[in-house]
Amino acid sequence: MILVNIISFFLLYYLKKFFGGESFSPELKRYFKWGMIASGALFVTGVSELPPKLLFDFLSLLLVGGIIFLIINSPELEKQKNLAVTPLPIVVVYVVRFLLETFLPQYFDKFENYLTAAGFFAIIWAVTMWLNHRKEMKSLQIERLISKEKERQLFLAQERKQELERLVQERTSEILSQKEELQEALNHLKSTQDQLVQQEKLASLGQLTAGIAHEIKNPLNFINNFSELSEDFLVEIESELKKDPEKLDMENMLDLLEDVKSNMKKIRHHGTRADKIVKSMLLHSRGEKGEYKETDLNSLIGEYSNLAFHGMRANPNPINVEIVLNLDQKIPPINLNAEDFSRVILNLTKNAFDAMRDKINAVSSEYKAKLEFRTKDLKDKVLLEIEDNGPGVPEEIRDKLLMPFFTTKKGTDGTGLGLSITHDIVKSHGGTLEIESKVGEFTRFKILLPKA
Amino acid sequence: MKILFVDDERDIEDLFRQKFRKEIRNEGLELVFAFSGQEALDVLGSENPPKVMYVFSDINMPGMSGLEMLAKAKERFPQITISMISAYGDSENYNKAMESGASGFFTKPVDFEALRKEIHQILSQ
Repeated sequence: MILVNIISFFLLYYLKKFFGGESFSPELKRYFKWGMIASGALFVTGVSELPPKLLFDFLSLLLVGGIIFLIINSPELEKQKNLAVTPLPIVVVYVVRFLLETFLPQYFDKFENYLTAAGFFAIIWAVTMWLNHRKEMKSLQIERLISKEKERQLFLAQERKQELERLVQERTSEILSQKEELQEALNHLKSTQDQLVQQEKLASLGQLTAGIAHEIKNPLNFINNFSELSEDFLVEIESELKKDPEKLDMENMLDLLEDVKSNMKKIRHHGTRADKIVKSMLLHSRGEKGEYKETDLNSLIGEYSNLAFHGMRANPNPINVEIVLNLDQKIPPINLNAEDFSRVILNLTKNAFDAMRDKINAVSSEYKAKLEFRTKDLKDKVLLEIEDNGPGVPEEIRDKLLMPFFTTKKGTDGTGLGLSITHDIVKSHGGTLEIESKVGEFTRFKILLPKA
Repeated sequence: MKILFVDDERDIEDLFRQKFRKEIRNEGLELVFAFSGQEALDVLGSENPPKVMYVFSDINMPGMSGLEMLAKAKERFPQITISMISAYGDSENYNKAMESGASGFFTKPVDFEALRKEIHQILSQ
């Protein structure tokens, strides 16, 4: 019966050591504690053979039965139910032995050998079952470890995912704010570009102003002078008429009257001239878009090359330039936006002046600057060539010439927009602009415009 | 007494002829006109020695400028008096004209009374 107590103790000890701890309720812990004390006490008293054998056997079986009952009925020990089965055969053998010994001692000797054998088998069964149980428990433990590890991994993954999401969020808002900044910069650039184009327009108007002033001053001087002269002549005729009719110098008076007549015509002519200049200035300075109209290209060229020339002469660093107009009188009126197209002439003329000024400063005084305008009637197109004998354009920058903001001028001398705008205007007229040049000899801008 | 006026504006011929009508009729003043720097040099070079005594020239003209003409004319005919007339009374043009041997510098609009005085002075010489 000592073995039964050892089993009792072992069962409790084993369960407590490997599955006990926090998962046990205080009540269960109390049962375990008292169960272990009881089994220990029984073991000691059993060894000392103090109590009567019957009582000792009965108490030992009662304890082990109670423990098995406890294991089977405790929800905390659900998985350890198998363990309760482990010592069951041993306990059954002992119970039978106890019952036989107590109530049928006459049969005891007869069955003792069987019972001993059964006890032996029951021990083997118990050990096997226990080993089995341990194995199960171990694999269960491994499983639990694996699932714990999995859980940990999952948690880590979750955490990493959250971290990544946070980073993505951060980046996204960063990119969004950068996008907004860029958009703002782009808007700013666009408005600056508009301003630059407007400024370029004003600059070409400024360049015109001096030419226009000069151009208006001349006809006004003529108007003043011829009207003053006419007045003088009329006064002279008047005083002549007051003389003695016999002494009249008829020839002189007729001469004077002829002059007065011619002067009136000249006054009218110069008045018209000034009027035309003012009109063309208004045309150029108007903010609104000009209209496409049938236009005499030759006279537009004559007018604006002249204005550009006088503008250049009146501005700082004037140069001497021979301006040659080689215009085909057969070309028909062209559908032009005169306001825009006049800027083409002005820009190309100004460029030529600037280039030739560079050449004048660079080479000897033998160089004679010359700017030639040519028009030619082609089959379905009109050709306009503007050719200067300046320094020419090196091949490597010829392609860049028409790009916005490209300039060869230093500092604030050029906006780099003149030729780009010129090209845009030619294109808007359905035309093409080509550059031909030989370094040191000439630069030629060829513009082809459609006729109708 | 021959005076040459150089200007690219053709109407100055009528203007000057009328302005100096009396001098032309009564005092033997003769006026010639050239409408470019090159033409002026051609006029001067057509007579040897040139009968022109005085040249009045505009500065701003297409092609050869008045200042260029002045320098060339002074080089070839140092005895001729030349005065310049400019629409732009800037000191740069003035200095250049004086360096090249100009006798006078007028700004437009021309003060005809000053010009008349100048011409009378030459006529009386």
